[in-house]
Amino acid sequence: MKHIFRNKKISAAVTVVPKEERRFDDEYPGYKLTEEKAKKFKKMMGVDRHRIAAPDVTASDLCLFGTRWLLNQGLLKKEEIGAVLFVSQTPDYFIPPTSNVLQGALGLSHDVIALDINQGCTGFLVGLLQAFLMLEIPSMRKILLLNGDTCSKQMSRFNRINYPLTGDAGSATIIERCEEDNPIFCLMNMDGTRHQALMIPAGAYRQPSTPETLVPREVEEGVVRSLQHMQMDGPAIFNFTMEDIPKQIEAALNFSGDSRESIEYFLLHQPNEFILKQMTAKMKIEPAKLPSNIVGIYGNTSSVTVPQNMAHNFGVELEQKSHRVLMSAFGTGLSWATMVMNLGPLAACKIMDYEPA
Amino acid sequence: MNKPEFYQRLAEILDAEEVKPENVLKDFEGWDSLAVLSVLAMADAKYGVSIKAEEIRAINTAEELANLIASKQK
Repeated sequence: MKHIFRNKKISAAVTVVPKEERRFDDEYPGYKLTEEKAKKFKKMMGVDRHRIAAPDVTASDLCLFGTRWLLNQGLLKKEEIGAVLFVSQTPDYFIPPTSNVLQGALGLSHDVIALDINQGCTGFLVGLLQAFLMLEIPSMRKILLLNGDTCSKQMSRFNRINYPLTGDAGSATIIERCEEDNPIFCLMNMDGTRHQALMIPAGAYRQPSTPETLVPREVEEGVVRSLQHMQMDGPAIFNFTMEDIPKQIEAALNFSGDSRESIEYFLLHQPNEFILKQMTAKMKIEPAKLPSNIVGIYGNTSSVTVPQNMAHNFGVELEQKSHRVLMSAFGTGLSWATMVMNLGPLAACKIMDYEPA
Repeated sequence: MNKPEFYQRLAEILDAEEVKPENVLKDFEGWDSLAVLSVLAMADAKYGVSIKAEEIRAINTAEELANLIASKQK
């Protein structure tokens, strides 16, 4: 898909993270890693610490906390909200949709549309696409886009490769119409033939949960997981990030008429430092413009990494004025998307710690 | 491709003193999924070639890997 959206903008984006921070140096003995191997992994992937949600805290709790903050600050009014989009792969329940639960918890009117979107790491951009489309409905004033995932709960604690890279977070973003043209150049691609590259094979209806699907097995040294845990085909994902994403980013720059110089911030999804540095070098982008630090500070938080990256690295700048940015996210599906736009000044662009109600 | 240089790079990835062409990659303690990723990254960054997941799984020896990368460079 290729499209230019007009007269729409992101007006605020806040990210909420669990308070509990765990450090790789404390965790690695649990993976039965030698100190030497742990050091090598830490350096290669850029891991250091990550935020992990408590057992009773869900992705929707984190998103609700961020939304209440926006409401309390007067940056959003309940009656302005036309739709609540909840993008997640860790919902509260199988039934009903979590967005409906959130609509109820926020006390929104019956005119408000609640919609769950099942997307992983590309989810911020897929959510933006849905928000832009809904703003074509004149009665919708603002769209509340909630991205949240507690991926640590889908990941085996004894998976030495993936668990240290994982983090939990939620974000609340406001999207609305604007007077200015503000073209947003959007490219989005999907390839379902590669859907097995990132998946949880069992626990839904293709392969329902049984005692057997819950048995943890060691698939390689230090990687113990069951069929109900997340699994990743590392080489396939590596090639995906090194081939499909740079191609799409290049196409997006051509589409918007931008160059590597005219883009101020490259806001990429944050799978790990290793892949991001390889991509940066391959695309010949100035590393200072393309942060790769989110995984080492918070963990890979799936669809929240883009707003989290915005807030952690450029929050103050984006609150002050408009900047030319390129957002790019990629993940399960497989799916990948890139948008080029002017972003800011945002009414809020920050990260806050979750406090239980 | 400069083969001695390639084997030296491979040795660094595997944390081995030295890698000989006939060495079986699976026999190295350092041959794990991170080493596989590092090999893919090296192939891309140093030799400008992309190795598919199924190709790397079919590889046995260091020499086979060197030949696969060299054959793709043409």
